[in-house]
Amino acid sequence: MNVRKLLGAALGALLLGSGAAAADTVKVGIIGPFSGPFALQGKNFQAGVEAYMALNGKTVKGNDVEVIYRDLPAANPAQARALAQELVVKDKVQYLGGVYFTPDAMAITPLLEQANTPLVIFNAATSAIMKTSPLVVRTSFTTAQTTTPLGKVVIDNGVKKVISVVSDYGPGIDAEGAFKKAFEAAGGQVVDAIRMPMNTNDFSPIMQRVKDSGAEAVFAFLPSGPTTLGFVKAFNETGLKKAGTKLFAPGDLTQESDLPALGDAAAGMLTTFHYAVSHDSPENKTFVEAASKAIGNPAELSFPSVGAFDGMHVIYKMIEATEGKQDAAKAVDAVKGLSWTSPRGPVSIDADTRHITENIYLREVTKQADGTYINKEIQTFENQKDPGLAAK
Amino acid sequence: MTQSAPLPATVAASFGKRHPLRDLAGFAAIILAGAAGYFLFPDNLALLTRIIAVALLVLSLDLVTGYCGVASLGQATMFGAGAYAAGFACVHGGVTEPLTLVLVGAIAGAAAGLVMGAIMLRAHGLAQLVLSIAIVQLGHEAANKFSSYTGGSDGLAGLSVSPLFGVFEFDLWGRTAYLFGLVLLVVVFALLRFVVSSPFGVLCRGIRQDPVRVKAMGASVFPVMLKMFVISGAVAGVGGALAAISTQVVGLDSISFELSANALVMLVLGGLGSLYGALIGAVIFMGFEHTVSAYNPFHWLTMVGALLVAVVLVAPGGLASLLDKVPGLGRREGGKP
Amino acid sequence: MQTILSVATDAFAYGMVLFIISIGLSMTMGLMRVVNLAHGAFAMIGGYIASYVARDLGWGYAPAIVLAVAGTILLCAPLERFLYRRIYGKPELLQVLLTIGITFCVIGITNYFFGPTLKTIPLPSVLAQPVDIGFRTLAGHRIFVIACGIAVAAALWFLIERTAFGIKLRATVDNAAMTDALGVRTPTIYAVAFSIAVGLAAFGGVIGAEFLPVEPYYALRYMVLFLVVVTVGGAGSILGTVVACLALGAIDTVGRYLMPEFGNFFFYAAVIAIVSAFPRGFFGRAQ
Repeated sequence: MNVRKLLGAALGALLLGSGAAAADTVKVGIIGPFSGPFALQGKNFQAGVEAYMALNGKTVKGNDVEVIYRDLPAANPAQARALAQELVVKDKVQYLGGVYFTPDAMAITPLLEQANTPLVIFNAATSAIMKTSPLVVRTSFTTAQTTTPLGKVVIDNGVKKVISVVSDYGPGIDAEGAFKKAFEAAGGQVVDAIRMPMNTNDFSPIMQRVKDSGAEAVFAFLPSGPTTLGFVKAFNETGLKKAGTKLFAPGDLTQESDLPALGDAAAGMLTTFHYAVSHDSPENKTFVEAASKAIGNPAELSFPSVGAFDGMHVIYKMIEATEGKQDAAKAVDAVKGLSWTSPRGPVSIDADTRHITENIYLREVTKQADGTYINKEIQTFENQKDPGLAAK
Repeated sequence: MTQSAPLPATVAASFGKRHPLRDLAGFAAIILAGAAGYFLFPDNLALLTRIIAVALLVLSLDLVTGYCGVASLGQATMFGAGAYAAGFACVHGGVTEPLTLVLVGAIAGAAAGLVMGAIMLRAHGLAQLVLSIAIVQLGHEAANKFSSYTGGSDGLAGLSVSPLFGVFEFDLWGRTAYLFGLVLLVVVFALLRFVVSSPFGVLCRGIRQDPVRVKAMGASVFPVMLKMFVISGAVAGVGGALAAISTQVVGLDSISFELSANALVMLVLGGLGSLYGALIGAVIFMGFEHTVSAYNPFHWLTMVGALLVAVVLVAPGGLASLLDKVPGLGRREGGKP
Repeated sequence: MQTILSVATDAFAYGMVLFIISIGLSMTMGLMRVVNLAHGAFAMIGGYIASYVARDLGWGYAPAIVLAVAGTILLCAPLERFLYRRIYGKPELLQVLLTIGITFCVIGITNYFFGPTLKTIPLPSVLAQPVDIGFRTLAGHRIFVIACGIAVAAALWFLIERTAFGIKLRATVDNAAMTDALGVRTPTIYAVAFSIAVGLAAFGGVIGAEFLPVEPYYALRYMVLFLVVVTVGGAGSILGTVVACLALGAIDTVGRYLMPEFGNFFFYAAVIAIVSAFPRGFFGRAQ
């Protein structure tokens, strides 16, 4: 019967193994999907963080910055809370960052006030998160933010009737709503709205629906990853592309790390998004160089890296303002209204919503001379706020 | 999956006998381990609370798999029902008292268990397993679909649970949540020990070993098994409610195939049919996973896989069976310390 | 009418894809009585080899398929010798634990060496073109998948029902001790049968990569799908697996066409209905 005690002690030895804190080291806990189905996005978090620290040093005003990574492979609020609690209570981090999924962010925000810790979200893209705590800052985007400009783009392309096809989950439904609102405001008509189950492998029946609807174009939203490949291929193989039906989507569908696989199938697709790896600016050139080095394989670089890069910028500014002392409210106040030039272009933190204001770009999937594909920016919508927050 | 799966001899030997002293020693061990957890890892209480919630799920799975021989890859249906019911009651129904929420979770879990048992008990073996998968997938879809009530993939957030007995708050440090969970676990475990050693529990084990003979003895199989499903559902529902209360968010992961599969892995890892194995499996699996994923957040899955393979090779009866091999530590000696 | 024909064609093609990736699992589960949850991992290994051969080495599609099948069999032979051999005839739950462990290891190792991005297997231009089949166009590789499915089904049926090896295999499954006593080397029979199943998994992984793209999480992502298909068909039955794949393919495709937002409800409700009506699957072997 003493075995359970022994086991407990053994486990204790394992858990306590991670050492104590040094005196003036500021610790930052990053929670992200570093393994499992979304490992690619987690890897991009890490690349963004490491790129920032490589370019800007590992000390802020004499305080060493130490990053602790914690893996949260899929949306799991209970685990998110446990990880955040451990980072705050045991590892004594002063800042929390990362977070890929909305429910995980929702589970962490109630802890922030007691923990006296700001949370800088690198991805989780639902508008409502910002309202759950005054200590949250977000450097990514919301689905409504990246989707809304598309309404006008579609009209400008001479299309009046569109069928909306989205994955049946939170962000998909957000995208459907945001697009419908923007497109109808611009004078278009959404003839049919289809929500597909998340685990759809064969998209042919969906394409048949598109064909039947008589729409001139498709608005699509799918989470970035394996299913986008099947979707785009089915769009081509069923002859829709050939028949002249156009495909519009937010940039999740054509993230850079999927482009080598999508290849020719996606060529000519128009998407709107906040960041393209090919963005032409000196800041981005420096960033891509550093991030490619951090990630190892440049082909794996994608949008979460820039969210993480700017997230670290915000955290560094917070450390600067508080001089390494733990004061969450002061830290967040210090970055309200902060503006800087990010690799994605000029950005600022909205003082009211603490969400990032940024340019949204219209991009076309283009084949380059060396045979690789990029998202080529062809139009800029400047200083876009999150319409999802404004509406509510 | 089939009824004829051979039992480890020691487990079989311990069946059908009541050992009040041994049970007392078992509770003492759980309470000691729980207290040790509280004092050894005061900074990891949220993790320990999560382990307790999942341990309740694994316990509930042991009831149907270990005691009735019904393998299930959909046990999270009941866990999720409990979690979402507690979430609804709190967010939409305005119930904030934690004990009431646990009760709500238990009732919802039991109801889910009733439905699930009624469907699953019509089949055997592999078909039964696939039925359980289909049910949990349907549950998952439903939770995703009714997003205006469940929050869908964004999760049901905003559970503000009032302090336990009006005094102890569920806060950042998680002491209340942990101790609350520990007490729930001990109470549930005590009740389950009583259930499995009651004539009803013995009958269930009889059905697991030879349903035909039990039928020939004049007992009806279906209602007995269904009753166990309802009990199992209530236990899983308590676990779900505990997770909802301590996390304050209910996500789609709480009613997923992944969670169900993890629970089955933990159960087989710990050892079937003794309740202790369920606890050991949950603690070892989640503790190991937590440790290696903190050690290397990027490539820890390989190590977890290696652990599972190693256990199959070294202790095919589950980790609990190892205890029996160590002289002086076996559960059989537990009654005379 | 044209729409009905068109949807029916899609349903048939999808059903054949399901068949080609799950028939290997049907063999291990039905004939060897091993609940092999690592089936998807084997298919994935095949996909990675094919992608390496066809894309990185540029050797073309046909060599990629051959090398993928051969390579996966070679890689998995030690697994059979040192791991699977210990769980033949053991309780199913133990097999589940072992094969999930193997799957986790394979995912972790693949992610470590090849990274988390999608891997493609470039198709030859013949298969990449849409083909006009009268009332609509159909992707060339879908026709190829359908042809492969029919060929595999026929070849397997012949192997199991009509060859000496098939007789020995069936005898071994029914009574290993007796077959052993009759002078058949049952470990060899098992090893060969396991290799065939692994080869089929790899083949399916490569051919089906257009539908189920190759990435490290492949091994777990589609595990449920494979398991459901095999069970509905009745483990070990070729005909059963064919029927199950066509039926489930049809339900899935039609459901997603008519009411996409309830597509999954249709699929799993149908699974519950079928399994309740045919507890051994369509053509399952009596236990």
